Amino acid sequence: MIANKELAFQNVEKEKRAEQLMIANKELAFQNKEKKKRAAELIDSNKEVDELEKRVKERTEDLESFTYSVSHDLRTPLRAINGYANMLEEDYSGVLDSEGKRVLGEVRINAKKMGILIDDLLTFSRLGRKGISNSKVDVNELVKTVLLEINESTAHHAEIKYENLLPTIADYNLLKHVITNLLSNAIKYSSKKDKPFIEIKSERKKGVNIYSISDNGVGFDMKYVNKLFGVFQRLHSNEEFSGTGVGLAIVERIIHKHNGKVWAKGKEGQGATFYFSLPDVDKKTEKKQ
Amino acid sequence: MENNTVEILLIEDNMNDAELAIRAFRKGNINNNLIHLKNGAEALEFLFATGKFEGRDTSKKPKVILLDLKMPKVDGLEVLAKIKASDLTKSIPVVVLTSSSEHPDIEHAYSLGANSYIVKPVEFDEFVKVVTELGFYWLLKNHPSL
Repeated sequence: MIANKELAFQNVEKEKRAEQLMIANKELAFQNKEKKKRAAELIDSNKEVDELEKRVKERTEDLESFTYSVSHDLRTPLRAINGYANMLEEDYSGVLDSEGKRVLGEVRINAKKMGILIDDLLTFSRLGRKGISNSKVDVNELVKTVLLEINESTAHHAEIKYENLLPTIADYNLLKHVITNLLSNAIKYSSKKDKPFIEIKSERKKGVNIYSISDNGVGFDMKYVNKLFGVFQRLHSNEEFSGTGVGLAIVERIIHKHNGKVWAKGKEGQGATFYFSLPDVDKKTEKKQ
Repeated sequence: MENNTVEILLIEDNMNDAELAIRAFRKGNINNNLIHLKNGAEALEFLFATGKFEGRDTSKKPKVILLDLKMPKVDGLEVLAKIKASDLTKSIPVVVLTSSSEHPDIEHAYSLGANSYIVKPVEFDEFVKVVTELGFYWLLKNHPSL
């Protein structure tokens, strides 16, 4: 009797468990369905993101190729202006009086300026299209090379100080472009001081290298700081300091391509400092090991 | 033209660029006989002695062809392809003229068999230099295959 009772009890228990299992199975099936639904939703939204990314990429490419072809096509008439002005100078200088020669000179100077502008724009648009090839760069050596080149092409009397600059990982030619640009700017905007002084420094901070180039030149008002890196944005007239207004836009683009940041601090009449951040070499190699 | 063999064939639709190129040749003391053709169609007629050049002695080949890439109707690449595809003309060196060193057509031109290319510089003095070097190389140093 007892055994029978025991069996009956076990049966009840079994049925109970079976019921529980069924419920759990149903629950699982439901969860599975939900999961599949979510997965499908995720795929859908991923597709949307992909689509958007594709469209942004296409638009950017359109814009790049537009900039490229415009600046490219501008060269043709410019070549003619320059060439004919040159012919006039060579063949008719005998019949031109001094004022005529001066006017012709202005034509040629401006044609040349426009040529530089177009080249700068082409560089800017090229940077948007081309990838970067990274390698370890000895920044101290690079600054030395850049200074030699600048000294060859530009007469200046600035004292330039730098030592033991940290190495980094970057595209050598692009970084050279950045340093050439920032150093040329520092020299240009401090050229009217009695004792122009430029200092290049580097420091490790929060896993990145921060490089700075300071000068004691004309500086700028911090309220215009957001205009510094815009294309064709200038804080000085061409008479004060010559330039096309593309240089710092190129610098920013290059540094952004390296996932770095670029910023500036300045005070009117008291100089400016330009900063940019690039990867810390040691940190990268540590990670690899 | 019957008596003088054309040595430089300039194919350029932009009259200003053509005038500057011709002047650059003269300035560089390259006084070889030059003919300027104003578009791709005309160039093909000249090279293959058809249309208004029918009857031209095609055995007289130019020493070098300067070819602008961007031309209406028959563009430079098309002309280049035809030059390099024909036994009659494929041995003539073709120097491609372009407005910028980054032009995507440059690679295309090389793949079609262009011999070199020059970027038309904005500065005229620079242009003279480039054209003179080019003329010196293709007209004096290079021995054309016969």
